[in-house]
Amino acid sequence: MRFLIAFGLLMVFRSFIPEPALAQQENMLTGTILEFEKEEPLPGANIYWESAPRQGVFSNSDGEFSLPSIGLPAKLVVSFIGFQKSVRIINSKDLEKSLRFYLRSEELALDEIIIRDRQPDQNVRSLDMGKSVIPIATIKNIPALFGEVDLLRSLQLLPGVQTAGEGTTGLFVRGGSADQNLMQLDGAPVYNPSHFFGFFSVFNPDALEGIEFYKGNIPAQYGGRLSSLIDVSVREGNYDKIKGDGGIGTISSRLTVDGPLFSDNSSFLFSGRRTYADMFLRLSSDPNINNNDLYFYDLNGKLTFRIGQKDKITVSGYYGSDFLGLSGQFGLGWDNLVTSAIWNRNINDNTFFDLTLYHSRYQYRVNFDDPDSGFIWQNRLSESGAKAEWTYLPSGSSVLKWGLHSQYYNFAPIELNPTQGSILESINTNARNGVQHNLFVSGTADVHPDLRVEAGLRWGLYQQVGRGVDYFYEGQLPAPGIPVTDTLFYSSFENIKRYQGLEPRLSFRYLVREDLSLKAAYNRNFQYVQVASNSSAGLPLDRWIPAGTYIEPIRGDQFSLGIFKNFNNNTWEFSVEGYYKDLKNIVDLRQGANILFTDNVETELLSGLGYAYGLELLLRKNVGKTTGWLSYTYARTWRKIMGISNDQWYNPRFDRPHDFTMVLNHQFSPRWSAALTFVYTSGQAVTFPIGSYEVDTQRLPLYSQQRNEERFPDYHRMDAAVTWKSVNKGRKWRGSWNFSIYNLYGRKNPFAYQFTEIINEQINFDPSLGDEIYSRRPGVVMTYLFTFLPAITYNFEF
Amino acid sequence: MKRFYLYGVLLLLSSCQEEVVLELKSQEPTPIIEGIWTDAGTINHVNVSWSRDYYSQEPNAPVEDAEVFIVSPTNRERVNFKYSEKSQRYLPDDVLGGKIGDIYELNVKIGENRYVSRGEMLAPPRLDSITYSYKEGRAFRDDGYFLTLYGDIPFTEDNNYRVRIVRNDTLLNRRSDYLLFDDTFGTTILTKGFELSGFAFEDKDKVRLELYRLNQDAYDYMSQLVNLLFNDGGLFSPPPENPKTNIEVVAGEGEVLGYFLVSPILTQTIRINPE
Repeated sequence: MRFLIAFGLLMVFRSFIPEPALAQQENMLTGTILEFEKEEPLPGANIYWESAPRQGVFSNSDGEFSLPSIGLPAKLVVSFIGFQKSVRIINSKDLEKSLRFYLRSEELALDEIIIRDRQPDQNVRSLDMGKSVIPIATIKNIPALFGEVDLLRSLQLLPGVQTAGEGTTGLFVRGGSADQNLMQLDGAPVYNPSHFFGFFSVFNPDALEGIEFYKGNIPAQYGGRLSSLIDVSVREGNYDKIKGDGGIGTISSRLTVDGPLFSDNSSFLFSGRRTYADMFLRLSSDPNINNNDLYFYDLNGKLTFRIGQKDKITVSGYYGSDFLGLSGQFGLGWDNLVTSAIWNRNINDNTFFDLTLYHSRYQYRVNFDDPDSGFIWQNRLSESGAKAEWTYLPSGSSVLKWGLHSQYYNFAPIELNPTQGSILESINTNARNGVQHNLFVSGTADVHPDLRVEAGLRWGLYQQVGRGVDYFYEGQLPAPGIPVTDTLFYSSFENIKRYQGLEPRLSFRYLVREDLSLKAAYNRNFQYVQVASNSSAGLPLDRWIPAGTYIEPIRGDQFSLGIFKNFNNNTWEFSVEGYYKDLKNIVDLRQGANILFTDNVETELLSGLGYAYGLELLLRKNVGKTTGWLSYTYARTWRKIMGISNDQWYNPRFDRPHDFTMVLNHQFSPRWSAALTFVYTSGQAVTFPIGSYEVDTQRLPLYSQQRNEERFPDYHRMDAAVTWKSVNKGRKWRGSWNFSIYNLYGRKNPFAYQFTEIINEQINFDPSLGDEIYSRRPGVVMTYLFTFLPAITYNFEF
Repeated sequence: MKRFYLYGVLLLLSSCQEEVVLELKSQEPTPIIEGIWTDAGTINHVNVSWSRDYYSQEPNAPVEDAEVFIVSPTNRERVNFKYSEKSQRYLPDDVLGGKIGDIYELNVKIGENRYVSRGEMLAPPRLDSITYSYKEGRAFRDDGYFLTLYGDIPFTEDNNYRVRIVRNDTLLNRRSDYLLFDDTFGTTILTKGFELSGFAFEDKDKVRLELYRLNQDAYDYMSQLVNLLFNDGGLFSPPPENPKTNIEVVAGEGEVLGYFLVSPILTQTIRINPE
C-alpha cells in the first residue's frame, strides 16, 4: 500500500515537471477515409489530432492517410466539407493496423457514424461484459414518452435492466434495487436522478456527450454501488464557432448553446430545459387551478480549457429543480446540484493523469402554510470527493491504472419546524456522516495472443464519523419498543464505526476465432450508503442512510460468463451472457416502519440476503440503413430477510423472469427516418388477497404471509416515431420534426390494482358527498396509464 | 381534495381506471378476533368470526361457541363473556369495565385453539373543553365549523391516541376519518388547542367525540390498518400486509387476525349552534 501511495505521489510530482521536447514519433497512424453511402474512398479529407489541429494531413486519391502519432489515447478528428465531422478516440493498439473511417454527408443523421466510433469488432475483442455504450444519437431516435427523450428509459430497453413500472425511470439492474446504481455526471454522483416523481430523468439529452453503462464487470476505478455504473458525460462546447440546438416539445422545451470561449483553446456549453404545465394552469379561470404550480427545469454548463498540448481542465455543473405547489399553501420542492472539475494531463506519451474534484447535493423542502398546523420540513444530503487516477501504457495493448478516491458523505439532520401559531413541535434528528477512502489498481494485458486479462483490486476504508450520535439498545438489538440504554455523542470527524473491504475485479477474454470469443468476469462491490424504503419507485422524500453501528455495508458478488460473436463482417453482433449475483446485508423496512422523522432509524430496518441469476441474449446491428437490436432475458431475483414474508425467500416486485425487447431504426431517405420499439415482459411480482375480513367497521383484504406470490398480467407495448429533417442547403437554421406514439396499440398495462369496496356500483364513489349508499360489494379496480399517447417535437440546430 | 385529483391527473395525464375481476386464491377461514376493553363497561365487547373469500358478499361468519373471558393478573378479577345472538358478539357479564392502571388479558378458545392478548389500562389525558369556529376552505379542507380540543397530555411515554367522531349518531368511519396521533410532533398539542382540521361540520350538527389512549401494539395495529386502507397497490405503496396482530396463538395451530384494545375513553358531546 505504501508503494502505491509513494508511486502515486511521484507521478503527481512528475506531472508538474516540464517534459523535454517530444522526440520524433516513430509510430504512424494509418487508415482510409470512405464515403459512408457509397463506401468509396474520399480524397482530400482533413485528418488531425484534436489537441494538435495545425499538424494534420489530407487523405490521398485513394482516401488513405498516414499521420504521426502523439501521446495516446487521443482524439482524432476527420473532417471534410459537406460531410459530418467524425471524432474517434485512438489508442496505442490502433497503430498496429490500418483503420477505416466513414464520413456521411451533412444531410444525413449522425447516429450511424457515431456508432462506428466503436471498433467494429469491439463486441468480440474487448473485455467488456455487461457493458453498453449508447450513443446519444441512438437514444434520441428511440420513441419517447411525451416525446421527451430520456436516457434512463432508453437503458430499460437493454437486456438485464428492469423497470419499476409503467413510465418510470427507475432502473433495476440484474436483480439489484434502484439505489444500487451509481449514476454520475462528469464524475460526480447524482442522488435523485428523476423529475416528476420518477417519470423523467434529470439528464437533458442535448447536453450529453455519451453514456457508458456497466452492469457486469465494473472496472476497479469505480465503486460504491453493487449493481451498475451509469457514467454520463456532458459534451464539451466546440472550439470553432457559436452553435446551438434545442427543441420545442409537448411538455417541455430546451435550448443548448456552445462555442469557443476567449480563444480556440477554450469552449463553453450551456443548456437548459423547462416544462410548462404550470403555464397552462395559469390560463384557467378557476382559481383552484390557476393558483397552482407544477414544473421542473434543468441547467447544465461546462467550460473547457486546453492548456498547452498536455493539459485540459473542465468545469461542469448541473442544477435541476422540481416544484409542486397548491394554492400557495402547500409546496413540495426538490433539487440536485452536481458540480465537478476535472484536470486531464498527458504526462508523457504513455502516462496520463486525471484528477476529479466534485460535490453533489440533493435536498427537498415541504412547506405547509396553515395557521394551526403549518410547518417547514426540509432535509439535505451531499457527497464531496476527490479522485486521482493514473493510466500507464507500458507497451502494446497493456494498460495499468491506479489511483485513489476519497469521499465525504453528509446526511443532514431532518428538520421540521412549525410556523408561527402552529401547534406542532419541531423535530430535529442528528446528522449522519461518513468518510470513505478507496485505493484501486488494475492491469490489462494480453497474456497470450488469444487471451486478454484484466485484474483489478479496490480497497475501501469507510468510517461513520461525527458529528453525530450513536444509540445503544437493551440487548444490543435495535427494534421498536426496545429501550435505549445509552447515548454517545461524537465530535466532528470522530470515529463512530469503521468498515473496510477488498473488492477484487477479474475478467478474461479468450479469442476462439477472429469473430468469436468467450469471456468471464468476477466482481465484488461494497456499498456503504443505501435508501431505506419499501416502495418500488423512488420518491423525493426517500431517506438515504449510511453504514454504521447497526447497519452493515451491502456486499455484492457477481460472476458472469459470456459468448460473443460477430457476423457478416461485423455487421451483426450477438452475445449470450449468464450471471449469478450474491447479495448480503440488504435492508428492508419493518412493517409499519416510520423512518422519515426518527433519529433511531436502525430500529425500523431489517437486513438479510439476496441472490439473482439470469441469461441475456442480444442480437444487434449497428451499421446500414436499418439498425437496432433484439434482446431476450431470463432472470430471477430473490430476497430473504428475517421478519419479512414469514422468513422465507421471496421475489421483490421487480422480479420479472421473461423480458423481450426489440429496437429498430430505419433511414428511409436523407429526410425521413423511423423507429419502432416493442417490449414484452413478465408482470411484476405482487401480493394479492386470499380472502377478506372485517374489523373496526372496515372490510380488509386478507393477505398471505408470503410476499409477492402473484403477478400482474404480462406487460407489452409498442412505440413508434417518425422523424423528418430538412436537408441542409447551406442554411444556418436546420429543423426537424419528430412525431411519436407511445403505446401504439393502446394496451392497458396495469399500473396498480386496488382491492376495495365498490359502492353503488361506482369505482370512485365519494361517501363524503352524502349520497345514499344502497350497495356495497368487494371489487378490484385497475389503474392503467398512457394508452396511445401521441407527441410531437420540433428540434432545431443553428 | 379535488385539487389533489387534479394533480393526479396532471401527473399521470392519461391514466384511467376500470373494474376488473382477477382470479384470486383462497384459503381456509382464519379466526378474526376484535376485543374492546375500556373503562366504560357498556361498550366493551369481543367479536369472534371467520374470514371469507375475497369476493364473498356474505357477512363474516361469527363464531358462536367460543369461550371468551378477560382476566386481570393485577387485580385477580375474571370477567366472562357470553355470545349475544342479537348483536352477534360476545358481551361481558360485568359492565363495570376496566380500572386505570390494571393489566388485562383477553382469552379466547375456539375448539382446541387458544388465543391470548394483554394490555394495560393507561391513565387518560385531560380533556378540558371543546370549542368550534367557522373557517374558510383552505388547501387541504373544505369550509365549515371546526372543533378545537383543549386539555393536557402530562405523560412522557405511551403517548398513542385515537379520536373517534360520531356526527348526528353516525360514526365517521371512512378511511380518511381515522385520527391517530402520537408524540412525534410533541405533547403540547392539547395545551395549544388541537384543531380537528380534517372534519368540517355544519350548523346544528351534534358531535360526540371519543378520545382513547392506546397501548403501543394496538396503536401500531390501527396505524397499519389505516395504511392498508390507503394502499393502492401501486409502485409508491409498500407491499400490502395484514396489520400485525397483538393476539398470540398459545395453543393449537394456524394464525389469528385482529386486535385487543385496552384503553380508557374520554367522551364529550357538543352541538354546533352558532348564536
